Amino acid sequence: MAPYPGSDADYFRDKARRDFLNLLEGVRGKKNLVVSQDLAGPVGLFVKFSLLQEYGVDRVFLLENGNVDSSQRNVVFLVHAEKIRQVRAVAEQIQRLQRNGNVEHELSIFWVPRRTLVSNSILEEAGIIGDVNIAEMPLYFVPLEQDVLSLELEDSFNDLYLQKNPGSTFHAAKALMDIQQRHGYFPRIIGKGDHARRLADLLLRMRRELDAEESSGLAGISARGLLPSASTESLIIIDRQVDFGSALLTQLTYEGLIDETVGIKNNQADVDTSIVGPTAVPQAQESSKAPQQSSKQGQKRKIQLDSSDQLFSQLRDANFAIVGDILNKVARRLETDYESRHAAKTTTELREFVNKLPTYQLEHQSLRVHTNLAEEIMRTTRSDIFRKILEVQQNNAAGADATYHHEAIEELIARDVPLKTILRLLCLESCMSGGLRPRDLESFKRQIVQAYGHQHLLTFWALERMELLQPRSSATSTTAMLLPTTGAAHPGSKTNYAYLRKSLRLVVEEVSEKDPNDVAYVYSGFAPLSIRLVQCILQKPYILSLLRGGAISAATPNPASASSPGWLGFEDVVKSARGATFSIVQKGDDKAIRARQTISGNNATKTVYVFFLGGITFTEIAALRFIAAQEAPRRKIVICTTGMINGDRMMEAAIEKGSLAKLE
Amino acid sequence: MAPSNPLANWERLGDSFYRKVPIYDAIFDEDVELENYIIAGAPYGGAIALHRDESKPYRFRDAQTAKSSIDIYSCSGKHINRLNWEYGTIRGLGWSDKEELLVITEDGTVRRYFGLYGDFTSFSLGNGAEDYGVRACRFWTSGFVALLSNNQLVAVSNYDEPRPKLLAPCPEGEVSSWSLIPPAYTLSRSVEVLLAVDKTVYLVDPTEAEDKVLQNGPFKHASVSPTGRFVALITAEGTVWVVSSDFQSKYSEYDPDSRVTPRTVDWCGDDAVVIAWEDEVHLIGPNGVAARYYYDGTVHVVPEFDGVRLITNDTCEFLHKVVDVTEAIFRLGSTSPASVLLDSIDLLEKKSPKADENIQRIRPSLPEAVDTCVKAAGHEFDPQWQKRLLKAASFGKSVLDLYNSDEFVEMTEKLRVLKAVREYQIGLPLSYEQYMRLTPERLIERLVNRHEYLLAIRISEYLELPADRIYVHWASQKVKVSSVDDDAVCKLIVQRLEGKPGISFELIAQAAYDEGRAHLATQLLNHEPRAGKQVPLLLNMEEDEIALDKAIESGDADLVNFVLLHLKTKLPLASFFRTINTRPMASALVETTARGQDTELLKDLFYQDDRPIDGSNVLLAEALEETELPRKTDKLQLASRLLSDSKDPSVVLQQKLLNEASQLLKVQEGLDKDLADRSEFLGLSLNETVYRLIRSGYGKRAQKMQSEFRMPEKTFWWLRLRALVAKRDWGELEEIAKNKKSPIGWEPFYNEILGAGNTKLASLFVPKCTNLSAEDKMEMWVKCGMIAKAGEEAFRTKNVNALELLQARASGPAAAEIDRMINQLRPRK
Repeated sequence: MAPYPGSDADYFRDKARRDFLNLLEGVRGKKNLVVSQDLAGPVGLFVKFSLLQEYGVDRVFLLENGNVDSSQRNVVFLVHAEKIRQVRAVAEQIQRLQRNGNVEHELSIFWVPRRTLVSNSILEEAGIIGDVNIAEMPLYFVPLEQDVLSLELEDSFNDLYLQKNPGSTFHAAKALMDIQQRHGYFPRIIGKGDHARRLADLLLRMRRELDAEESSGLAGISARGLLPSASTESLIIIDRQVDFGSALLTQLTYEGLIDETVGIKNNQADVDTSIVGPTAVPQAQESSKAPQQSSKQGQKRKIQLDSSDQLFSQLRDANFAIVGDILNKVARRLETDYESRHAAKTTTELREFVNKLPTYQLEHQSLRVHTNLAEEIMRTTRSDIFRKILEVQQNNAAGADATYHHEAIEELIARDVPLKTILRLLCLESCMSGGLRPRDLESFKRQIVQAYGHQHLLTFWALERMELLQPRSSATSTTAMLLPTTGAAHPGSKTNYAYLRKSLRLVVEEVSEKDPNDVAYVYSGFAPLSIRLVQCILQKPYILSLLRGGAISAATPNPASASSPGWLGFEDVVKSARGATFSIVQKGDDKAIRARQTISGNNATKTVYVFFLGGITFTEIAALRFIAAQEAPRRKIVICTTGMINGDRMMEAAIEKGSLAKLE
Repeated sequence: MAPSNPLANWERLGDSFYRKVPIYDAIFDEDVELENYIIAGAPYGGAIALHRDESKPYRFRDAQTAKSSIDIYSCSGKHINRLNWEYGTIRGLGWSDKEELLVITEDGTVRRYFGLYGDFTSFSLGNGAEDYGVRACRFWTSGFVALLSNNQLVAVSNYDEPRPKLLAPCPEGEVSSWSLIPPAYTLSRSVEVLLAVDKTVYLVDPTEAEDKVLQNGPFKHASVSPTGRFVALITAEGTVWVVSSDFQSKYSEYDPDSRVTPRTVDWCGDDAVVIAWEDEVHLIGPNGVAARYYYDGTVHVVPEFDGVRLITNDTCEFLHKVVDVTEAIFRLGSTSPASVLLDSIDLLEKKSPKADENIQRIRPSLPEAVDTCVKAAGHEFDPQWQKRLLKAASFGKSVLDLYNSDEFVEMTEKLRVLKAVREYQIGLPLSYEQYMRLTPERLIERLVNRHEYLLAIRISEYLELPADRIYVHWASQKVKVSSVDDDAVCKLIVQRLEGKPGISFELIAQAAYDEGRAHLATQLLNHEPRAGKQVPLLLNMEEDEIALDKAIESGDADLVNFVLLHLKTKLPLASFFRTINTRPMASALVETTARGQDTELLKDLFYQDDRPIDGSNVLLAEALEETELPRKTDKLQLASRLLSDSKDPSVVLQQKLLNEASQLLKVQEGLDKDLADRSEFLGLSLNETVYRLIRSGYGKRAQKMQSEFRMPEKTFWWLRLRALVAKRDWGELEEIAKNKKSPIGWEPFYNEILGAGNTKLASLFVPKCTNLSAEDKMEMWVKCGMIAKAGEEAFRTKNVNALELLQARASGPAAAEIDRMINQLRPRK
């Protein structure tokens, strides 16, 4: 394959932008754009509103608000075709537009990511399929960062584990096919978890179908997709289900904590202006914090959180404990930089200083924002309640007897701490120790229902269905608890943290937050299982040295054993985590591979794609970046996921939003 | 054989030359009276459709020929197919880019014939076409516009999903002629129509009809050039005008000296206009210069984008502008390097040393000369001249040290393909330019449509193009025409297609199914590798379960949903459930879709599946949606009743809690009635209710609720504490402080009250926290601002260091006090 210039992130961003603008251009004249809520954010990631205006977009409406008006003749809908509810909403709004406008509308629908049969039949039912122009907007991966590609499917967690809807898996497979078509086939697909297995199967099937479709036996142009990639090492798929536990812990990196306290969506956080000050005056060079056009609420300000903010890229993956230090250092450096103006004697020196001034100002602004943000987070982390929660979590993670904390949780319930926090603690306990004792679970159920409303009977049902909160199934898991080594007797039904904690050394007490030497720094001493699994594939010698109890050394893995593929060496250990384990080699024409290897050279940097099906947390990204930095010259890690997740979002998927109070 | 003179048929027109290349002869039988036919030719040398012009009299021969029909011929006059026509008067006959024949009848029905063998789809124009009737149609490559008799214009711009659209309303009046500008060449990106009404011309697009304010109408003909830049008009006086398409400037004018209005006005490329009468053709170049051609019989003009085809009974000719490269080589007296190069071939054959001299003379520009020869070969129709030009190029090439021969090689390939399809048996007289625009893939498609499978496969192999579609088309055709039994056909097809990747058996199966051979279709479908592709056909064939399984296998939720939607409407509920029960993915999807939309279906499903908890949950969810209290309670009770049979402890708990929910609602209703004027308590959780009661000062009622709902003592204490603090009921809190014991300890009291800012009251609780260390208590005192008390605490534990720290913070009497204590502890010096 000809090596394509540019990273995947750039490629996908450009492609998405080009596709979208081409579609918009196809609709002549001014138009109103109706976009569904879950697409508004992702669209903002690859195209700015000002650019949309250049392409004739007059106003943007949210589908959910249902308020599109007849101010323009052209109305364009940008909606997920796979979400039946949204498709129906589109049909209704189109019918409404047709009924009550005295304007004859020119209607277009851009289905994301493809036109579906169901959407066709819904439009047909509504009798409007003949009146609208239908096009496809093949939006799959949206880059969040140079090394993070996300499908930005908000509902994927809910769909996968609660609704058991395979849509996200299919979507993910299509997206990964995009990557394969760009670089060639993943030479190896390694994964863990049942959904991961399904995804891998889909990938294999799609490849077969593509083979059937594309090639025609005659070698030539069409054969280009057929070969395993030379620039890719492997695809690692981790099913979120394998490690619910880590995601339920409170994230302790800076970015993670912002996500926990304020919430980050599509690289943006809505922060109260009382914390970060009002929206800055828009300046041309201030691209990192360009105010969003759609700032409706006066008190909130959108903060762009990505690598365009230099300071933030320094801070994001650091443990929060040292964020203060870094901020101090930067503040001091800035000050000396400013002071340098006094040192400037000649005019050239002065000019140099003035030239740098905008950079300083930019840095200064970002420093102010992050200092304020960090202070706000500090206020939360210092609170009595936060500390209590953290204590419960860390003891759970460390494997201490969880029942000991039940009283603390009960107190939190009585103090009306948000329900999701309580449920997180309970789910964490359930995941980490194979379920709650039925008696305890019943008592919590009763208390929570009394405290937060009886509608949460549905919440419990949902959590149980997701296997997040379960009664301990009598004998089996208790013995597993007591005799950790027999955990493998029931492989695959549940993740046995008790066993894995030891066999993969999840708890690393002596990790340094300042100068981390193990991924455990992200949770201040707990290494996420999901990441350890990735390490089992990529950093075998390191894990082995960890287990042998040798001092944790910043690993200099010995390449010979590092190259043993797949799960080799850890098959038994991995069995104790939930779900299928697999390692598939995608073979191609041997001769062609060898030919290509000679062309591209063997020691070029190879890319490893790590796909988190069901969502990834910011801490896990931080940990993966930590690994990537260690593997840097030989490997490049690209993180792919269905979407960003944290414990709160997992709970929100389950929590019943209705209440018995609704009487209006 | 000496090649014919390349200059034959050249005609000078202003600065450039035009030539008329004869391609085929003996096109139609003598008894096809061309003057009585309407002719439509497909672009890119495509097929020709003939339909007898019903407005003209014709010689009656027998009943067979009297029947109305559309005949399709190749350009070489090979009869391809006859479509019997009995659907009414044809008002539009045209072709699309893909060689689909479009026939529009007076009542606005559009038939699109794909392939050349009579398969068609049809749709209706609507928009009043039935009532007013279609008058005429104009076509462009991918669409057409119909003019209704009420001067309305209906445009169709996509045949796959036709959406007839009304253009802007047009002025009243007699339309004397009209033409369209294809969407690709307009500013509005939509098709625009030029309508000559009365003395002027209107430009009509989807939004408005703009009067171009002309005086010389009525215009008898209007024709737009292939790139939409110019318009040719024939004025009332019969002169030809060429104007820009925005009608701002007039480029030329020509008077044909004829009383009779020409039958057609077309463009020959973008630079010349062709006007034709029955047997006379005028070619008008820039500035009104013209060439005239005369014929013995009727001549029909078929426009192409780079020229026109002239068709008579005897000949098919291609009239086009001589391209620059050809002109540079062949023009009389040309001294261009390429021309010299071609000459030296002659000399070379004569073994004359001048050949080398020539080459040396043009040496500096030899590469260009070679290029020119290669290009000119492409534009030549005569193989003799092609060969000669290529030979010249090859000779020139051999002299050059470095020359990239790719173009030369490609040109030979292209010419080979062109020669093959130009053969009269095939009859596709493509020019080089046309071939480039058509692309090899679509050329192969055209061959397939003509059932020229062998040639198609040969060409695709030669050009290394995928051949799967050819095989599929062949197989489908085989299925249609073969009369042997299903197994034999299937075997034959599978055998022939074995080892050919990319074959879509689904399409072949579809063809078999359309022929009514369902068994064969199923057999063929088993060979289809793509599960998803099989689904729609399987549904058509009523193989529901297989369709569902295949959909699930494909992993595509959309496909599964589609099948489910289909099955739900088709099957009785019970068998629908039976179908999905054994397929977890299907039932999960049914549940997801039904949730919030069709709860009745869910209830039935859960009932049938014996899932009482799920069923009860649906009812609970419904209860949340209800707005009336009685109905809420009803639903809750129903939900509870569903669970009454179970012995499972978790189900029992669920049932209990459901009952509790209705009980709570009842109590809250009472509270609302007694204590509030509007609904204040209804729907709150138990904790919230108790909290609110205490905060509003109804402690007694709160206590009653606690016991009624068996709320844990600790919870109640917490609630009371928080509510009282929120109420700032310090008295009550002081009262509580008199208790000996608190189930939650006293620290929370201290914290909460301190948080509310009442240090005095908070301090009351410090001594009660007996289980805390002295340091903690000191801290607590300090937070209340009672340094002295903190000192006492330190004093009690003889902690001098702490006292000294306190001393720094103390002032006034407290300072003195602490001093005293320090002194007491510290042994005097």
